[in-house]
Amino acid sequence: MSDNAIKQQVPSRLVTASWHEKAIARGGVVSIALFFVVVCIVFSLATDAFLTTPNLLNIVRQSAPLLIVASAMTFVITTGGIDLSVGSVLALTATLSAVLLQWGVPWPVVVLALLCLGAAVGALQGFFVAYEGIPAFIVTLAGLSVIRGIALLITGGYSIPVDPASGFNVIGRAWFIGVPVPALIAVVVLVIAYLVFNETAFGRYVTGVGANAEAVRRAGVNTRLVTLGVYILTGAAAALAGIILASRLGSGSSNSGQGFELDVIAAVVLGGTSLFGGRGSVVGTVLGALTVAVIANGLILAHLSPFLTPIVTGLIILVAIWLNFRLFKGGSRSR
Amino acid sequence: MTETSPYRVRMTGISKRYHPIQVLDDVSLTLRPGEVLGLVGDNGAGKSTLSKVLSGAIIPDAGTIEIDGAVVSFTSPADARAARVEMVYQDLSLCDTVDVAGNLFLGREPRRRLAGLSFLDKARMHAEARAMLDRLGIVIADTRLKVENLSGGQRQSIAIGRAASFDPRVLIMDEPTAALAVAEVEAVLDLIRAVSARGVSVILITHRLQDLFLVCDRIQVMYEGRNVAERLVSETSIEEVVNLIVGRKFIARSAGAADSVGVPA
Repeated sequence: MSDNAIKQQVPSRLVTASWHEKAIARGGVVSIALFFVVVCIVFSLATDAFLTTPNLLNIVRQSAPLLIVASAMTFVITTGGIDLSVGSVLALTATLSAVLLQWGVPWPVVVLALLCLGAAVGALQGFFVAYEGIPAFIVTLAGLSVIRGIALLITGGYSIPVDPASGFNVIGRAWFIGVPVPALIAVVVLVIAYLVFNETAFGRYVTGVGANAEAVRRAGVNTRLVTLGVYILTGAAAALAGIILASRLGSGSSNSGQGFELDVIAAVVLGGTSLFGGRGSVVGTVLGALTVAVIANGLILAHLSPFLTPIVTGLIILVAIWLNFRLFKGGSRSR
Repeated sequence: MTETSPYRVRMTGISKRYHPIQVLDDVSLTLRPGEVLGLVGDNGAGKSTLSKVLSGAIIPDAGTIEIDGAVVSFTSPADARAARVEMVYQDLSLCDTVDVAGNLFLGREPRRRLAGLSFLDKARMHAEARAMLDRLGIVIADTRLKVENLSGGQRQSIAIGRAASFDPRVLIMDEPTAALAVAEVEAVLDLIRAVSARGVSVILITHRLQDLFLVCDRIQVMYEGRNVAERLVSETSIEEVVNLIVGRKFIARSAGAADSVGVPA
């Protein structure tokens, strides 16, 4: 009888604690969601223009490259890795798309070829990380330098225009059913990223590799292939972002995307993904990226100096992570 | 399955060197179907390394492994799993940030196909995980709990449950009872008896010598990377095993200590 009583008590205690437990288990996502809501409310009250459909769509359109690359970066960081080369890959694909279009290559071919190039660059870096055991920070730092250098070498430092009549411009500028195309692409990428991260074996192994790679290997999983895979994702995502950027701006510049990797990493970390690996959230990343975008947008609408953006963003990163560690302590038992 | 060989597992001449240290030096091991073998030795004797060779986690420099008479060459833990060799690792090999069901099914998650794509079948995974835990008498409230929030004993139970639940031919357990309470140790020993009665061969590595005498048929003693002795449990005693483990030079003190405790098998 007493045994039964205990067994009944355990689940009931879990149910009553569920709201709080869920908040703690998702501490990262909860704290960034709070920040996002607060920032949105503040700008809605402070400016008339913020909470309007055109402005909100504009935010999503402008942050599409960030959202796309950050969703892929969530996978990399969850494995305990990092990819510093995404800004350079973005610049390379932006310039190459302009160059290839000038050569008269049909734009769908350009898009496909550059996505493959991005994936190949990611695969090469992933090979050094996964199979040669070189720290991801070093490999992608080298990649950051080399790939940006190639982009500069191709253009000689100039920006290359894209023919305004080209169908290529649809990707960055067109609207479809009342929504900017870049925003639609970003939403599709985010939905796919969410499903892969949470509902597939690959996503499970990504988390597992970050938590205990040797355990996943001993479970018979090819962990090197999983690690290689996440760098292919960031490579391809950065290429997609470069294509969207070149199309939106109507030119390919080898100087685009400088510091982009830091914005991406900031968005991912703000979203509650642990830099130590094993803990990641695509939803958190979306909120993190949108928070950064909303701050930049809102400060301009409030007629404040745009130079405040990095200051505010940096402070929010620090406070959000600090909240994770303090307020929501217990979600991750320190050992 | 070829039943020509009387042995479920036969490892011969296994050697492994980590730069200056010869961790395993021409080690052999045999295991019959349904037999429980106790593998003992001091720290650094090579017990864990030898068992990891059998589980595919370590590739030996030399030596052959036969399973049911067929020579196998494991290049990864996946190969050993395919040959139905399962191991409970000393460090448990769990992913802290993955839930209970996810750890139980790590590497063999049930899938369902949706629009030609392969997704995790989480509903089936949690239902089967619950059944698995209940069958083994492991008390864990929710299979959706992350492993990091469980006690040491629960974590160890999950590692054991994972290895025992997928119909193994060989079950290797490296210190499976280290973090367990008294009642839980009894449950693990019962589990070993139950699986060996079903014909599963078990290798048990433990420092708790009294456990060996409760469940093992045979004890193999290793010393500094070599086999030094093999004894049938029915023909040996704790004192003799202690002497074999520590080596001859401490024979007088060890035997005296064992005598004063006075626990004959």
